[in-house]
Amino acid sequence: MHEAELHDLSDDSDYAASQQQASGSIMRCDSGKSAVTEPNGSEVVYSKDNVTIHPTQYASERISGRLLLVKQGSSLFMSWIPYKASTDELGYMSRSSNSGPTEKDRSLYTIKNLPLTDVRSIRRHTPALGWQYIIVVLSSGLAFPPLYFYSGGVREFLGTLKQHIFIMRSADDANVFLVNDFQDPLQRSLSSLELPGVVSVANRASLRDSRGSVSSADNSERVNQETYDGSASTSEYSGRHKHKAYDPARDLSIQVLEKFSLVTKFARETTSQLFREGHNNGFSPYEKRQQNNYASPNLVGTRPNDAQKNADVTSVASDPLEFDKLPLVWGKQRESPLCLAEWAAFLDSEGRVVDSKALRKRIFYGGAEHNLRKEVWKFLLGYHEYDSTFAEREYLAAVKKSEYDIIKSQWQSISATQAKRFTKFRERKGLIEKDVVRTDRSISYYEGEDNPNVAVLRDILLTYSFYNFDLGYCQGMSDFLSPILYVMKDESESFWCFVALMERLGPNFNRDQNGMHSQLLALSKLVELLDSPLHNYLKQADCLNYFFCFRWILIQFKREFEYLKVMHLWEVLWTHYLSEHFHLYMCVAILKRYRKKIMGEQMDFDTLLKFINELSGHIDLDGTIRDAEALCACAGENGTACIPPGTPPSLPVETDMGLYPQDDDVL
Amino acid sequence: MATIGNNNINAKLVLLGDMGAGKSSLVLRFVKGQFFEFQESTIGAAFFAQTLALNDATVKFEIWDTAGQERYHSLAPMYYRGAAAAIIVYDITSTESFERAKKWVQELQKQGNPNMVTALAGNKADLEDKRRVTTEEARTYAEENGLFFMETSAKTAINVNDIFYEIARRLPCAQPAQNPTGMVLTDRPAERLQISSCCA
Ligand SMILES: Nc1nc2c(ncn2[C@@H]2O[C@H](COP(=O)(O)OP(=O)(O)OP(=O)(O)O)[C@@H](O)[C@H]2O)c(=O)[nH]1
Ligand SMILES: [Mg+2]
Repeated sequence: MHEAELHDLSDDSDYAASQQQASGSIMRCDSGKSAVTEPNGSEVVYSKDNVTIHPTQYASERISGRLLLVKQGSSLFMSWIPYKASTDELGYMSRSSNSGPTEKDRSLYTIKNLPLTDVRSIRRHTPALGWQYIIVVLSSGLAFPPLYFYSGGVREFLGTLKQHIFIMRSADDANVFLVNDFQDPLQRSLSSLELPGVVSVANRASLRDSRGSVSSADNSERVNQETYDGSASTSEYSGRHKHKAYDPARDLSIQVLEKFSLVTKFARETTSQLFREGHNNGFSPYEKRQQNNYASPNLVGTRPNDAQKNADVTSVASDPLEFDKLPLVWGKQRESPLCLAEWAAFLDSEGRVVDSKALRKRIFYGGAEHNLRKEVWKFLLGYHEYDSTFAEREYLAAVKKSEYDIIKSQWQSISATQAKRFTKFRERKGLIEKDVVRTDRSISYYEGEDNPNVAVLRDILLTYSFYNFDLGYCQGMSDFLSPILYVMKDESESFWCFVALMERLGPNFNRDQNGMHSQLLALSKLVELLDSPLHNYLKQADCLNYFFCFRWILIQFKREFEYLKVMHLWEVLWTHYLSEHFHLYMCVAILKRYRKKIMGEQMDFDTLLKFINELSGHIDLDGTIRDAEALCACAGENGTACIPPGTPPSLPVETDMGLYPQDDDVL
Repeated sequence: MATIGNNNINAKLVLLGDMGAGKSSLVLRFVKGQFFEFQESTIGAAFFAQTLALNDATVKFEIWDTAGQERYHSLAPMYYRGAAAAIIVYDITSTESFERAKKWVQELQKQGNPNMVTALAGNKADLEDKRRVTTEEARTYAEENGLFFMETSAKTAINVNDIFYEIARRLPCAQPAQNPTGMVLTDRPAERLQISSCCA
């Protein structure tokens, strides 16, 4: 009861404003506390060098620092301070690859005087091979990236903690140490409410956005301030957008606003509030009208406070019932798929795509006709350059064909006797063979015994596992390849398209699950931004790890829609038109469609996972894309700021180091 | 020890084992009575529920079906945490899958709930001509490790319901009067085993 009320408070705009001030003062306190590290009154009880985070899978982007436990009075604080990049190190890195972490990246991950009272648990990982690391999970359910102890010392760290605070080994998992488990629930939720000020270090400052521009941390502070400030005027709002004539989200946000006749006097926060409150119906808008769900006692996060807030919103809107009458879908009307005549018009006489941006926009809003996919996908995936000519592409196909044959011959030449002594090869082949025979076999192209196309799937995947031996084969890859081969109907071309796709999505399959974790974390931040009642619900239901969305993200909804619709969705996603991470907005859009059911039925993790798995085949694709589009536009820079740099499918920067960390033996 | 009346148990059960061993197929056979030659691989995890009547008690299994590939191993603790029972599945036509099963047994012995009822299932028993793991070898291993063992076939349904029944029977509170062989009953009910009227 208490907790729910607190969540409601956090959702209240006035409260949010006061909280903003409060977290401001917390931050001021923090800088006061930074005196803690100085000799007066505080004591460093633990200090460990070479504790490193791996923001991406690239070794060059790892950030080392010093981990400290500092005691002040009876309170214990944890800090992790990245080392200043030494000129040597920086000079070397910028010469070789200019991809090393910038000073800002470094400070982004800094943990400064985190009170241990804000920590829920610490999970210890001690792999047989590779470095030991810990994951610090905050009361909010969010976690800091893994801290790798390059010079050992995890035991000592936990030992020191034990001396100063009460920690308890979890009964469920011997490697999990609970820090505040015994705490009074009221206090715990209070401390979690303060969290945004603490965690946001890694998330608030918006770094590179999808267009690659860099906005300063100050700027995003300002945006946040504005977000909380309900009185921000329209001129400021649209003024900010005028600077960004190129912003594709612009027409759309205005369109969304017009749709609500709310063009005047609306700041971004109000818009996102509308998303939270006006769009919370998993079912028909009519059904919703009949139920007074603001009074429903079962709904967490829709307590009297919400009614109050709702009144605030409606005082601006012309008709208080308008939200209920609105159709469920928000984004632009979907268009018909790109057709041959249009496609031809995008090409100049030599076959170059003149305006790739316009092409991507066109495909984003309508997809492509099936017979064009074979051509169009190669551009979207990055296998073909937009400014290549017909002749160049034909030449490329020939070159790539022979290159493919060479890689393929590497495993084809392995004799049976050789294979006997090559366990890794046999295992890998075994994995692939087990999977291809159960991939999309109900599709006529792959149907029936001894289907040659199934053998082609196998050959391509095995060749890929030689092309990218470090990544190898992982379950889920055959799901990606199957539609590609279905479209390309050509072994070598399918291979290279798959290679291009894996350039972006390979990290989904990393052994350390880093790519998946960063996407799930970004998703949780997006839901927090775009639907805080749902976020609060998932928080109290202990579902903030978002593992129930694992399948959606790992294979980009491949199992959720019928075959042809998957292809449509993929080409929409691959345009990267509104965002490289549009798939995450898709996740938010689907969750929002069913939020009422999820919260109303008080689903716990098990039930939620079952529910989400069973949604497969029942999600309205066009409607969801439109919702996601609107969400993406409304989230704007704040949405971008939720997604840490390097989150797949952002394109990685090539380095000399291996792309795929080999902490463990690879299958 | 009243076992008469409303004796309803909810038990969380997790399926572990190598990819392609037939975990999903076993669950589908048990829950829906179906079998698919081309059952697709499991991504992440799937959840099913099925209730069994056992004399005068009912056991509602909440079944977690996990992804088998080694690479997803790190996610498994999330699913076996707090489970009252586990079925470790291997494929009798694959020695690798049997080795993998042994690893799972070790991991559960180290990390899992000590009261967990653990079954070893040698699946694809219909493929006798391709057998690579003998029944004796597996039975000996199971006995040494306090597991109960059955060979199953999701395809022909042999022993599928039986293995779930046997687990239900061995759950600490399902039949408190009889102490099933190889099981040590403790005062403490297994974690996550929610009992509504027995042991009261
Ligand atoms: N002949 C035979 N085939 C089976 C049996 N059980 C499963 N299979 C087949 O084995 C393959 C793999 O079965 P799954 O149930 O998907 O295996 P799994 O353990 O769930 O695999 P992952 O989800 O990848 O971990 C499928 O093609 C099934 O049809 C069985 O009892 N007999
Ligand atoms: Mg499965």
